[in-house]
Amino acid sequence: MLEIGLIIRALLRNKIGALLIALQIALTMTIIVNAIFMILERQQQMERPSGIDENNTFYLTNTVFEQDYNLQAALNRDLAMIRKTPGVVDAIQINAIPLSGGGWSQGLQTQPGEDQDAIGTALYMVDEHAINTLKVELILGENFAPEDILWRASGQTTWPAKTIITKAMAQSLFPDDWQSALGKTVYITQSQPIRIIGIIKELQAPWNGWDGVERSILIPYHMETTGGKYFIRTEAGRRDELMPIIEKALAESDKGRIIRRVSTMEETRERSYKRHNATNKILTTVIVTLTLITSFGIVGLAIFSINRRTKQIGTRRALGATKWQIMRYFMVENFLISTLGIAIGCIGAVGLNMWLVKTFSLSPINIDLIVMGIGILFVVGQLAVLYPARKAALISPATATRTV
Amino acid sequence: MLTMNNINKTFQTGDIQTHALRDFNLTVNEGDFISVTGPSGSGKTTFLNIAGLLETFTSGQFLLDGKDIGNLNDNGRSRVRNEKIGFIFQGFNLIPDLNLFDNVDVPLRYRGFNAKERRQRIEANLERVGLASRMKHLPSQLSGGQQQRVAIARALATDPRFLLADEPTGNLDTEMAQGVMSLLKEINGQGTTIIMVTHDADLAQQASRTIQIKDGRVSELEIVAQKAIA
Amino acid sequence: MFSYYLKIAWISIKRHWGLSLLMITAIGLGIGTAMTTVTVNYLMSANPIPHKSQQLYYVQLDSWDVNDPYDDGQNPPDQLTYTDATNLMKAKKAYRQNVQAQAYGVIEPEEQGALPFMVSARANSADFFAMFDVPFIYGGAWSNDADVNKEQVIVLSREINERVFGGENSVGKAIRLDGNIFKVVGVIDHWQPKPRFYDITTGAFNESEEIFVPFSLIAEEKIRRSGNTNCWKPSSDGFAAFLASECIWTQYWVELRNEQEKQDYMSFLNAYVEEQKRFGRFQRPLDNRLSDVMQWLENQEVVADDAKMMMAMSFMFLAVCLLNTIGLLLAKFLGKAPEIGLRQALGASKATLFSQYIIESACIGLAGGALGLLLAQLGLVAIENLYGEYMKGLASLDANMMILAIALSLLSSVIAGIYPTWRACNIQPAQQLKSQ
Repeated sequence: MLEIGLIIRALLRNKIGALLIALQIALTMTIIVNAIFMILERQQQMERPSGIDENNTFYLTNTVFEQDYNLQAALNRDLAMIRKTPGVVDAIQINAIPLSGGGWSQGLQTQPGEDQDAIGTALYMVDEHAINTLKVELILGENFAPEDILWRASGQTTWPAKTIITKAMAQSLFPDDWQSALGKTVYITQSQPIRIIGIIKELQAPWNGWDGVERSILIPYHMETTGGKYFIRTEAGRRDELMPIIEKALAESDKGRIIRRVSTMEETRERSYKRHNATNKILTTVIVTLTLITSFGIVGLAIFSINRRTKQIGTRRALGATKWQIMRYFMVENFLISTLGIAIGCIGAVGLNMWLVKTFSLSPINIDLIVMGIGILFVVGQLAVLYPARKAALISPATATRTV
Repeated sequence: MLTMNNINKTFQTGDIQTHALRDFNLTVNEGDFISVTGPSGSGKTTFLNIAGLLETFTSGQFLLDGKDIGNLNDNGRSRVRNEKIGFIFQGFNLIPDLNLFDNVDVPLRYRGFNAKERRQRIEANLERVGLASRMKHLPSQLSGGQQQRVAIARALATDPRFLLADEPTGNLDTEMAQGVMSLLKEINGQGTTIIMVTHDADLAQQASRTIQIKDGRVSELEIVAQKAIA
Repeated sequence: MFSYYLKIAWISIKRHWGLSLLMITAIGLGIGTAMTTVTVNYLMSANPIPHKSQQLYYVQLDSWDVNDPYDDGQNPPDQLTYTDATNLMKAKKAYRQNVQAQAYGVIEPEEQGALPFMVSARANSADFFAMFDVPFIYGGAWSNDADVNKEQVIVLSREINERVFGGENSVGKAIRLDGNIFKVVGVIDHWQPKPRFYDITTGAFNESEEIFVPFSLIAEEKIRRSGNTNCWKPSSDGFAAFLASECIWTQYWVELRNEQEKQDYMSFLNAYVEEQKRFGRFQRPLDNRLSDVMQWLENQEVVADDAKMMMAMSFMFLAVCLLNTIGLLLAKFLGKAPEIGLRQALGASKATLFSQYIIESACIGLAGGALGLLLAQLGLVAIENLYGEYMKGLASLDANMMILAIALSLLSSVIAGIYPTWRACNIQPAQQLKSQ
């Protein structure tokens, strides 16, 4: 376009003003691209399935305080009572809750010995009802049989003979062929053998920030513990109705314990990702405000430059420039400034990302996002300059002949 | 009271050197009313800017009340402008954001007068130009002639030794222009020295002395003192 | 003259109110965002016990696996084994020493019909209270003998004392915890160090415990321990075997009054580890650490990464706001070129004009700072709501932060104002006066 040279020369005469806007655009782009990246990353983390039927499950903690309490009898009684409650699909005792933040981990290794590498995994101590209660999908092998379930005394360090593991765990143990894990004997606590009898599709560990969150295993244990948890699945839609009923039934059946922390899996997920959600909301606010500030900056400076050039614009109009030609002048001008800003912004965005990667071990940014950032800022720039450009186009050609 | 000896002023634009004033010589005496005429581009405005200490000069000597102005710094020049010189411009140059009172107040503030003194001077000078009743108005609410009278009040408020007027009537119609002119003559009659740049021959005639600038030099000097309002 | 500058600034701000509002909003948003994140970081990294943070030391010994170092060899384990903690306690080589672990229990009130309830507990040594300046309402700490003799004594928090004893002086009374009778020796006032430095392993911003009992009762199974347990070496069955194992689950603090005591204690620790090496333990190279409170908080990275990232971003945000303000001020001041020229003609020196325009910038900055404080307050409320428990008590502006906000806004606006002002003051008066 013929005008571009002209516009560039005009801009060079007001270098600082143009540079200020360009820098603003650059910084805005730097922040926005990284903030969007952080939001998306968190969103992806939150979207990972836990593997269980979160909508229809809840759990509670059973804290025994009475001395000389028969833990085994109480557990059998409780589970039988919960399982036959109308509306309950199934229930188990469990040592930890997925996503809750607290749980047990152990290492599994394919060869025994102190000096062998072990792969960390979350550990769920459950009985043969677990697959049905959690509603996880058994994709290979078989479930525990009732006789597989052993009693675990407090402080016991030996392990049962069988385990069921997640597909992710199988992939970590046998990277070449995860299906070959079925039937294999692996070693827990360095040397105790344990045989993989089944593989489930997915079941998340209790720690959402752990990079091995997809790795967990089921251990066929009933625990003799004074601080156990019951995990319950109800028929669809009956969870909220059954929660108080079961809490009351348990509390009243036995005065030697306290039933507390009755919570749903949905609440657990929300609590688990509360910080993620909060951070995302804040980042979104930052993006929006920043974009607004930058646009207002563009509007403000454009209006000023138009006010200063009123007479010049009037003269152009008098010499035959159309309204569109006047508007186009300012839009092209903004486009040129934006291009400079966005170019610096690309470097800034990558630079900030590199720093974040180095300091906070975030992952490196995606090129798609940079392209998206470029698009967003060009659009924002053009939209922001639209109003002042229209204002300029409305300047009367008669301005040219006015003296004062 | 004002002496310019061999003043030169050159502008450098790119490779081209322009001489705005060449070996300019002029002496102004106390009580003079001098009109300066000349074609456009002759150096009239440059002369006025140098005389008003708004611009520095390239070489030569400029004495004001016997004091050499050439080696004053920005602060010193500002003080001289404030204390000894009053300006009147073609475009009036009132500050649009400030009302009449505050406009006249500007130079008084820089002088550092106390509130009472400032108020007295502002009222007295607005009274003198006949606008005391409109003190709280903004410049945009006044006609051109009225605006120029405010500018004159502002120029006089500091009791300057001389007034520099640059085309004071350029933006006014004949009737208003004559009003402003009589005001200037009246002020001159009270002892203030006036230097007025104009291209209007009729107005120039009304001064006590007329000089013409051509190509940066005083080319002609006609004394018409006795012709003026004695 | 100052009041005149203020007056002129006010007129100028008022006349160009749209532009002024834009600048004030920009600075306000920038300061508000920056202050919100700075406050969170400041509170997270606050010194919870300033007067003696340099006399309290956290003890770390490297008892970990020779094949697979703890924390990839960066740091020794963050807790001690029961064996080492009790050995150090017995040696009593520091001015004060405290071994502790998190615990919990169920209290059964005497009162008819009152339901049993869970309490969070800390199992600790007698010196805990004196070391950490815990404020007592009634009674005081138990004696060192009580630790040794495993006496069933208990210190209650104010809240528990109110719940069980209606807030009266309960010293000497009995309370039933997990079926055992404990004797109340003291009641403490509300005490919530932020961060809760004395036990980072269970959350630096968690609430302090509701009851305190002697650590030695854990081995007696009179109190149930909780908190983090980390093991590298398999042990055999039973609680006694667990206590004797290489599992780490206790935290150990000492109070050392001067550099000499610190050096002596370090020598003692080194000698202790050398001695243990003879029993086949501590196979890793000697790496004992004594960290004072602030070093320990730093080492444990108490300030969350999110908070640091947000702070970095918010300062970039502030930079955008400042660039915005610089641009607008530049436009505004250059738009005043005729006025500036005129003022020079009327006797204003460059210094005078500089003061005037810097004061105008500062006024905008102050207004922006006030707005920023308001926004920061709102931002902190929002953060507290969004993050819930985690940020509780971390989101309030104190006097320091308010002063910082105002200082920051003044500084930013003056910085933003300097270039435009400098440009404005260098306007050639003569050129501006000719035509308007």
